[in-house]
Amino acid sequence: MTPEKLYEILDKYAKSRGIELNKDKDFVLDILAGLLKNEERYGYRSCPCRLATGIQWKDSDIICPCKYAEPDIKEYGSCYCGLYVSKEWNEGSIKRVVVPERRKQT
Amino acid sequence: MPGQKKVRVYSLSTCPTCKRVKKFLSDNNIKFENIEVDLLDSGEQWVASKELRKYNPEATYPTVVVEEVICGYDEELLKKVIEIK
Repeated sequence: MTPEKLYEILDKYAKSRGIELNKDKDFVLDILAGLLKNEERYGYRSCPCRLATGIQWKDSDIICPCKYAEPDIKEYGSCYCGLYVSKEWNEGSIKRVVVPERRKQT
Repeated sequence: MPGQKKVRVYSLSTCPTCKRVKKFLSDNNIKFENIEVDLLDSGEQWVASKELRKYNPEATYPTVVVEEVICGYDEELLKKVIEIK
């Protein structure tokens, strides 16, 4: 699958969940390329901005959409890697911050 | 060279934000050591992660480390770098 194809699929998914893909399409295509790279090497779409172990049960919380996406979008308007965002975030009506890591270190 | 800054970037090859940081540094002609942790073998990865946690306990990416090396007793440079008034 290509990042462009995955973009179409996830754009629909995001809208169905009342959120959006980051409007910076080049940035999103880069993220999706990272997801597909991880799927190729690990067998699952591990978050491209977190170091995966390659052991699925250990990485289950960071398989995209990660377990932290919903609370992050609620609090910051964006998920950790910036793929999924709120409408307000895309419109620029809320302040854009570096989303801190919600995941507990193991 | 005394007082020269050394820049090291801990990054992931799949992370666009890491790419942005490295592009910013390159665009500003800043030389840096690029450590793509996800591309290291497991032993090197363990060492790099352990080292990264010294600077950033949460081991998130990208992490940019800027170090300054001061050799010998150079009071003026020590004051400047450590910002001693």
